[in-house]
Amino acid sequence: MPQIGTLSSATALLDRGPQPILEIDRLSISFFTRLREIPAVMDFSCAVMPGEAVGLVGESGCGKSTVALGVMQDLGVNGRIVGGSIRFKGQDLARMSEAELRKVRGSQIAMIYQEPMASLNPAMRIGRQLMEVPMLHEGASAEAARARALEVVRDVRLPDPERILESYPHQLSGGQQQRIVIAMALMANPALLILDEPTTALDVTVEAAVVQLVKDLGKKYGTSMLFISHNLGLILETCDRLCVMYSGEAVERGRVADVFDRMRHPYTQALFRSIPLPGADKTARPLRSIPGNFPLPHERPAGCNFGPRCDYFERGRCDAQAIPMFDVPGDDRHDTRCLRWDEIAWDAPLAATEARAKREPGGVVLRMEDLRKYYSVGGGAFGGGDKRVVKANETLSFEAREGETLAIVGESGCGKSTFAKVLMGLETATSGQIMLFNQSIEQQPIERRDVDTVSSVQMVFQNPFDTLNPSMTVGRQIVRALEVFQVGDSDADRRERMLRLLDLVKLPRAFAERMPRQLSGGQKQRVGIARAFAGGAKVVVADEPVSALDVSVQAAVTDLLMDIQRESGTTLLFISHDLSIVRYLSDRVMVMYLGHVVEIGSTDQVFAPPYHPYTEALLSAVPIADTRVEKTHIVLEGEIPSAMRPPPGCPFQTRCPRKRQVPSRDGQEPPGTLCEAEVPPMRTLAQGHQVKCHLPEEVLAGMIPVIRIAAE
Amino acid sequence: MDPLTWTGALGDWLDPVLAVAAALFGVAALASVLAGLVLPAPALAVNPDGTLAVRRNLRSWVDAGLRGAFAFLILVVLLYLAGGLLLPYGDAGIVGAMVRRFLPVWIALALTFALSIRFKRRLGLYGKLFDSTVGMVGFGLVMFWVFTALFVGLFDLIATHDPLAAVSGLKNKPPGVPVPGADLPAPGAHYLLGGDNLARDVFSRMVHGSWIVVQIAPLATVFSFMVGITLGLPAGYHGGRLDAVLSFLSNLILAFPVILLFYLLVTPEIAETGIPSYMAVGLFLFPILFVGVLLWSRYRTDPRRAATLMVPTLLVLTWLYLSLVSQAETPIRFMGPLDLFDVPGGILVVFVSVVFVNSPTVFRIVRGLTMDIKTRDYVAAAQTRGESTWYVMLWEILPNARGPLIVDFCLRIGYTTILLGTLGFFGLGLPPDSPDWGSTINSGRQLLSVFPHPALVPAIALLSLVLGLNLLADGLREESLKD
Repeated sequence: MPQIGTLSSATALLDRGPQPILEIDRLSISFFTRLREIPAVMDFSCAVMPGEAVGLVGESGCGKSTVALGVMQDLGVNGRIVGGSIRFKGQDLARMSEAELRKVRGSQIAMIYQEPMASLNPAMRIGRQLMEVPMLHEGASAEAARARALEVVRDVRLPDPERILESYPHQLSGGQQQRIVIAMALMANPALLILDEPTTALDVTVEAAVVQLVKDLGKKYGTSMLFISHNLGLILETCDRLCVMYSGEAVERGRVADVFDRMRHPYTQALFRSIPLPGADKTARPLRSIPGNFPLPHERPAGCNFGPRCDYFERGRCDAQAIPMFDVPGDDRHDTRCLRWDEIAWDAPLAATEARAKREPGGVVLRMEDLRKYYSVGGGAFGGGDKRVVKANETLSFEAREGETLAIVGESGCGKSTFAKVLMGLETATSGQIMLFNQSIEQQPIERRDVDTVSSVQMVFQNPFDTLNPSMTVGRQIVRALEVFQVGDSDADRRERMLRLLDLVKLPRAFAERMPRQLSGGQKQRVGIARAFAGGAKVVVADEPVSALDVSVQAAVTDLLMDIQRESGTTLLFISHDLSIVRYLSDRVMVMYLGHVVEIGSTDQVFAPPYHPYTEALLSAVPIADTRVEKTHIVLEGEIPSAMRPPPGCPFQTRCPRKRQVPSRDGQEPPGTLCEAEVPPMRTLAQGHQVKCHLPEEVLAGMIPVIRIAAE
Repeated sequence: MDPLTWTGALGDWLDPVLAVAAALFGVAALASVLAGLVLPAPALAVNPDGTLAVRRNLRSWVDAGLRGAFAFLILVVLLYLAGGLLLPYGDAGIVGAMVRRFLPVWIALALTFALSIRFKRRLGLYGKLFDSTVGMVGFGLVMFWVFTALFVGLFDLIATHDPLAAVSGLKNKPPGVPVPGADLPAPGAHYLLGGDNLARDVFSRMVHGSWIVVQIAPLATVFSFMVGITLGLPAGYHGGRLDAVLSFLSNLILAFPVILLFYLLVTPEIAETGIPSYMAVGLFLFPILFVGVLLWSRYRTDPRRAATLMVPTLLVLTWLYLSLVSQAETPIRFMGPLDLFDVPGGILVVFVSVVFVNSPTVFRIVRGLTMDIKTRDYVAAAQTRGESTWYVMLWEILPNARGPLIVDFCLRIGYTTILLGTLGFFGLGLPPDSPDWGSTINSGRQLLSVFPHPALVPAIALLSLVLGLNLLADGLREESLKD
């Protein structure tokens, strides 16, 4: 059986002085099309030392995944390395033959992709897939391979490894699948692990657990890691060093702490200013989005790629020649691709943007009372089979006021989408009431609602690439919404209104004639917002409107939404799993889990103790890109239960880390039995702050804040 | 008059050249295949200026040789065509005479291609077709037959003789036989592709057959699509019991042997009961439904405009529909003098049967696409602004399913053409003397071993049209996937 751990060999290497596992030197990669050469990566250098985790950050299209594919020498037919070298343990990968590369891939270098299901063979049992790795690369016997598989599955902390090995990929949840992919990568004891957005497809609490696992395994096996992500918070939690990429170039690299606290490139700075960190506030300290758009690979500007969007741009200097990397003295291997890095006042506070007037919420617009939505599923085509009830929403009660932003937070399967459907009238409620302007609408499907009701409740959708009909012009889609909402009295009038709506969402009027595929993700999302506000909506449900956008665009779209809301006094129901952005923009927060509201209160109340244990875990799971922040680490065990078979009692009891703190009722039974028996009542802790939990007062009172900002 | 040889005087020196060119091409192709197996691929190198360069090795020379031989072959073929156009009648033989007869088609094709390639960037998917060689070849083949059909059917050009007239003495005569009594070396002096077993001109029958095929196949396919779409959209969109019932029915039709179904439909006893006519009543109702719902769902917010658009459209469509279903000599005949046209009974039956067997397949495709597209956010957006289900289906879902549907449309015209041939071959539907390709193949079948040309000519025509449609579909699919 192969020995676990290359730690010893890694330390041996260290003894001989710093010998990098992976050394990328001035790498340039281009893709060749019929029309032109498209440079994807230019002059990219980076080194990964043994046992070190290096992060690669950048927005979509910046070339970070191309670097990873270049390391794997898997660029496809039209991709080609046009300059520089990639050395793995001192050997040039580009000079290796196919046979040598096959030996390196999978055994020396392993890669983990975003979509776990895409890396697993759906027709093979997990055990066989894992065993293949050592059997192929080391010629291990089936028994040895199986023993190793069991051990690795145990290492990635999956329950009941024997059963897991016997199951097929589709029988596992997304988080479990990703753990299997990680296990598969570890089967061969790779010296280098490349992780390409490994947790983007996962829920926050599952992501936190997987990230923790990757970190622990990295330590245990001494594996070097190249961690690709767009999430700065994740990089801070996992990596030692990072490299920021922009439009095919590395713009800054260095130790995580140096780059986070003493960034020396304007793009890095702009990136940090566009993400909601603790302390950002929509009225007092709004986010600052990066102006302009990402340049297309064949339309890059001369000189500095970031030049046209940079605040510190100096004509005649920044666009005069290609910019090399400059070493920032004083820090450990900290470089920046900025000519003016030592001229810019980096610590100067952000030029004060005008603080916007805070709008006081008005009267109650929307009231939910004891809303329940059950689905019955199962049953064959002819009515046979057993029927089951899915309780998608249980006793949902809340109010939303005019001009208020109410965030609805929860992971997949928490019932937030079902709730949106019932509110929009795509489904009718099983019981309970929805009062919109004192009119009960829960039993009215959308066909039976009048135009006013329909136009006053509208929705902004999550996926920008899906929100617009690809075969209709942008203008036509907005005009159609105006027609349906009976706004405007002639075609000309409606066209004028459509153009004004484009103005409102800050898009050029020429976009009216464009097809959706000609727009970027952020622009599409703006059109989606214009369409939702076409009929003067009073309540807008925004279903993760920015989660699929790049960080620099997120800020702009969020601010746009806030601006329109402030002007029109719309009530915004902001569905999200991203607590940073929720904290930034919402007035009140409602946390949902498995169809239940587990906590509701003003943003300050929810983000400060006392918490519901689920909120506490959620807060701890969110990666925050700020070195000053200290977090309590709470990693939830297990997976979110299926809504088909919810646990008895409290919905959260299967994963609750504080269940043991609930005292037993009669002193006989073990603590926490109460949680398994009864759904907790909604308890009011403070004015407007409610929690659905059995925890006694003193435990709640004794909670400490999860997110603490160290004194500056 | 002397009989025409295949290539005439031109062939005396061009035929050996053609043989050499063909031999060269064959050798080069073989060499290229062998080189691909044995020799390594030429290495690609990156130039300092960022362009790619191929380092030539033996294999790249072999490939270049293949390309050269192919170009030579094409050049020789083009010489035959040019000879036919430029030399006087008869000097370029049968091939030359036929090339000359197709002159209007060549002009139309050249114009189409020139205009399309000139403006291809502004023509959407159609324009992109001209980026793909396969697509262009397919489009060329299809348009060749379409133009032939139009010139024959509308202007009576191309054909040299009446497709139904027999000239005594020319029964089963080989290609190039002179027509007795014709003295001038002019078009019509020969049966270019010989005579069939009833002494009719095979060439003229073939080009006249194209008019029948080009009339029926696309129209029948359009009707199949209307039926399939009108049923497939709600089945996929609503699902549930409606879907179960409709899918079951379509499976039922698909499971029934097609030929047996045709035999049943055209048997005189069954035709007398009026079953095909009643089926026509049902099937041809779908286009009216389709257009009506399409317009209403789009303009329901503006009833006045909806009325001004819908009333005339629906009136015209209904009148056409009533004229179509009301046929003399069938149980359904009520229009009297208002009846605009009568479709010959056989053609109506063929039409009905083709629509009937094709629409279940279209139904399944549309249903599957709908099930996929209905989960998109823009569909949800339409729902949440209170659009009617038919608007969502016809204006949000259907346009986004068009890619696969267009491809399938092309393929299906091909199938329908073959189906028409099959029907004609079995002597079903169309009258026995009809020049359509299927019937012609059937009548030429009896003496196939002695006189192959009467059956072979329509068979090759059918093959080239269907091949063209398939290549066109391939090209469209390939180009619609790129962006």
